[in-house]
Amino acid sequence: MHFYILDPTNLPAERFEQLQVQLSGLLAEFNIAGEMVRVAPLRRIPDLVDLASQRGVRTLVACGNDDTFNMVLANLKGRDFTLAYIPFDPDSALARILGTKDVTTAVKSLAARRIENIDLARIDKTFFISYLEFGVLSRNIKSINLWNVFKLVSEPKISLSARVDDSYTINLECMGGLVINSRSSSSSKESVANPTDKHLDFLILENLSKMFLFQHKESIISGRLEEIPGTTVIKCKKLEFLKPAGQALTMLGRVISKFPATVEIQQRSLKIVVGKDRTF
Amino acid sequence: MENFETSFGSVTETVVGPSVKIQGDLNSEGNIRIQGHVHGNVKTSESVFIEETAKITADIQAGNVICAGEITGNMKVAGKMIMQSPSHITGNLECGILQVEDGAVFNGEVSMGNQKKVQAEVEEE
Repeated sequence: MHFYILDPTNLPAERFEQLQVQLSGLLAEFNIAGEMVRVAPLRRIPDLVDLASQRGVRTLVACGNDDTFNMVLANLKGRDFTLAYIPFDPDSALARILGTKDVTTAVKSLAARRIENIDLARIDKTFFISYLEFGVLSRNIKSINLWNVFKLVSEPKISLSARVDDSYTINLECMGGLVINSRSSSSSKESVANPTDKHLDFLILENLSKMFLFQHKESIISGRLEEIPGTTVIKCKKLEFLKPAGQALTMLGRVISKFPATVEIQQRSLKIVVGKDRTF
Repeated sequence: MENFETSFGSVTETVVGPSVKIQGDLNSEGNIRIQGHVHGNVKTSESVFIEETAKITADIQAGNVICAGEITGNMKVAGKMIMQSPSHITGNLECGILQVEDGAVFNGEVSMGNQKKVQAEVEEE
């Protein structure tokens, strides 16, 4: 049985109702209807995941925005669910990663039960399948014009110290970086950002001049830092951010943790429903 | 001058940028490109490319090595070792094939012909 968790957060009531009606219609059409529950102040996501577990549900479907999915993921607590995501947000980064760009595509993928086992990464108590940012990459940059270049270059530089795989320490002054499990701009041909390789990719953007920054703006916007000469690329299973203390680690611009913090890939993987246009 | 990708093909897995300082044991399952400083040990069964800006104080065990930077340490290379200009290498070397280009400086002892033994050591672990 499928268990659908519908999250109206950040959606106007009218838009949410429309999406709910569209979703119900598609589920009936593809014959994958199940129990639909709506997130409410007294029935939050952790309660609903517990409820699904009590009912013996095998497929849990997060319907909402990327935060909805991440909250469901954070509350699985090792229970054996197959997870699916139906995006209500047209700008969802996770939907691009999973190849379920809209409600219709996501429902079709769910009906087709195209399931992949992907790596699960963890920072402190938060699990994630996408990526973390720090420094200028936390700015969620959508475009780089001359004004943005000046702003980015004038950002304070980070004296980074991190320990990799309990094996070596890395020190440098940088503008920012990414810790990637998977991302919305990769392809299956690349070795970076593959969420099935049991590794995290740690990309560090060194200090760049204004000209260089402008020259490589597309790579910075899309997070493909490995295309920029001089970018450090490290594959690892465990990453401990040591310094500077208090430096924020964000996910899509939202602060998840602060240095010192440890990010690691988990032994167990996650069964997840994906579309054919997934990025891995 | 030989290029890393044309010499050894596959994609570089680890890149150490020019302003990076690494202290400890850098182990990788794939190719490594070093532009910064490494103090410790470097180990991979694949290839290592040490660029002009790199300064390495470490023992290196690798499948192949192309060096244009500075190394102080002993090296065990199962396959090919290429010393490019302006590399400056101080330490002993065991390798299968050695190529030294004009302008490269090497101070140390070279031992060749024990390819199987070196390969087994590099692939160990």
